[in-house]
Amino acid sequence: MRQPTAQWAQGPAVPVISVLVALVIGAIFVLISGHNPIQAYAALILGAFGSPYDMSETLVIAVPLTLAGLSVAVAFRTGLFNIGAQGQLLVGALAAGWTGSQFADWPGFVLLPLTLISGVVAGGLYGAIAGWLKAVRGVNEVITTIMQNYIVVFVMHWLLQDGPMSAPNALGTPASSPIGAGAVLPIIVPDSIVHLSRLHAGLLLAILAVVVFWFLLWRTSLGYELRAVGLGARAAAQAGIDPRKRMVLVMFIAGGFAGLAGMIQVSGLFHRVFDGFSAGFGFDAIAVALLGKNSPIGITLAGILFAAFARGGTLMQANASISSHLVEVVEAAVLFVIAAETIVRAIASRRGTPAEALA
Amino acid sequence: MKRLLAVAVILFTVFAATGCGALGGLGGPSVKVGLVTDVGGLNDKSFNALANTGRLDAQSQLGATTSVIESKKQEDYVPNLTTFAQQNYDLVIGVGFLMTNSVWKVAKQFPNVKFAIIDGAPANDKGDTENLPNVANLFFKEAEPGYLVGVIAGLMAKNKVGKATHNTVCSMGGIPIPPVDHYIAGYQDAVKTVNPSATILNGYSNDFVDQAKGKEVGLNHISKNCDILFQVAGGSGLGYMAAAKEKGVYAIGVDADQKDAFPGTVITSALKRVNKAVFDTVKAVKDGKYKSGDNFFSALNDGIGYGTLDPVIPADIKSAVEQALSDIKSGKITPKDTVQVKG
Repeated sequence: MRQPTAQWAQGPAVPVISVLVALVIGAIFVLISGHNPIQAYAALILGAFGSPYDMSETLVIAVPLTLAGLSVAVAFRTGLFNIGAQGQLLVGALAAGWTGSQFADWPGFVLLPLTLISGVVAGGLYGAIAGWLKAVRGVNEVITTIMQNYIVVFVMHWLLQDGPMSAPNALGTPASSPIGAGAVLPIIVPDSIVHLSRLHAGLLLAILAVVVFWFLLWRTSLGYELRAVGLGARAAAQAGIDPRKRMVLVMFIAGGFAGLAGMIQVSGLFHRVFDGFSAGFGFDAIAVALLGKNSPIGITLAGILFAAFARGGTLMQANASISSHLVEVVEAAVLFVIAAETIVRAIASRRGTPAEALA
Repeated sequence: MKRLLAVAVILFTVFAATGCGALGGLGGPSVKVGLVTDVGGLNDKSFNALANTGRLDAQSQLGATTSVIESKKQEDYVPNLTTFAQQNYDLVIGVGFLMTNSVWKVAKQFPNVKFAIIDGAPANDKGDTENLPNVANLFFKEAEPGYLVGVIAGLMAKNKVGKATHNTVCSMGGIPIPPVDHYIAGYQDAVKTVNPSATILNGYSNDFVDQAKGKEVGLNHISKNCDILFQVAGGSGLGYMAAAKEKGVYAIGVDADQKDAFPGTVITSALKRVNKAVFDTVKAVKDGKYKSGDNFFSALNDGIGYGTLDPVIPADIKSAVEQALSDIKSGKITPKDTVQVKG
């Protein structure tokens, strides 16, 4: 029954083709708006990688995107659709912001790990709620995680505006008090190499998380069980793996990755939490996970690509006067083409063995 | 061959991006201006859109080379401002009081770049104002346009023009911050002056985005006989005006001329000419007259005004508001800027 042609579609071909098709679609929109697509994309690339500062800014954005992408992907691998990475990220940020400011005068070697753990665990517990509801009550995790996103946004608004975390600030928007120096992730690029670089040690944590993701899923028996549940919950149950326990656990892990992203945004970049914090990363993360085909290397590359879109789009608007909304068109087109992967597969199977044709 | 072509394209782009605009100057050195919007974006039909109009005017009339970056998140302010500063722009403008801290941060790093911030002054991490020698704070005397539309509202209610039959005029702010309250204070001052017997109501939606909250306040006001509703609440204010449209009473817009938002409902708008502030600041940089610290835009320098007057407004009220404008210019009237009726 299985089509032999599906094999090449497992590799990087589909994501690469998706991005190329999406770029062509974007180019059509640039043409319609009366600009030169080559100039637009040249400006986009220069904006993302044109100078050491631009590269460092691209990586700053890639860190939370990749981590949130891991969050979505680990749930995917277990057959769950985690739309809640955004909410889990914010819970992680709130926990890290609270810990970091509450114990502000503690030394770094205690406070930084404590802040990190609080962010990861808080995000994890928030994710586990959705897993638990699914396991015990059979509530669809798509619905619960979407609702959880809203809940945390409004709870956060209350906490920061009138609640216990509100503090005077200059942001013009409700914000917490700053975290202590010990909770800050240091900048890892010396100012003499990249002036004003904001690239922080969160990059190293993100790389570590990618390795953990790979090791967990492919080098541990737990990972084997998670993937088995993802491939077929019933078959896994027959083999003695309880899918319901794994659901709670995997949503804890997913929430933990997202919570880490939130913690890093607080400790590495802003040193406080504020209303409207890191909006949208959790949603872009779904695209990152899909494009990266839920694989560690794929997610990392997709995270960098989407970060390059975000950074490059800004500079494209500044330097080539092309609206930065173009990159949103391209991002949407990427998702669209990936969603159409089944169609691509169907076409491929009719054409015989494109695996050879492509080689 | 292909590689050569690619290099040529990239080189071309670099030139297009950095050099070409410099040819546009009409005498005098060309000024490079970067505008960073807040999260409202260029299509907010208000604040950011007006600032962008000012940028485009400066480009066409002053030969300035200009660019704009739309901020998608609050946390983009610092990198977006830094981007322009790093590219050696002469003037970098941040739109809105949400950027006071970001402008402070970036301006300190680039003492040779001039900055301007609309509706605010640079503020340090503690939230205290800390003026910098390379930041111009562009403030508006909002009490003045508030006063002008207050004259219209007060007289409409007094003379029972059209649907304004209950002698009750109302207003709604977003959050009670100075630029909002100045508008409302001027409005109330005018109503009390031209129509002392009028009932005045005021409220806040506690939001600048949510239309539903604005509508709620609007419906509540209308149920208390309000028939002229002045909004100072951005997107939330659109909901306030929507309530006026639904119940068939009058509304007054804010910042930009909002007559097209609800035709027939919006009788005029209190104008804050952000475009003028941007244009004048670019011109000042070009002419070497840039002034850091507080800069005020008022009736005196045409920085404020009132919007298109709906035909329902009779000629005697039109001349009254014209008179009020010239009285403010001459200093005969100084609108109050503290709110008298809070609730």
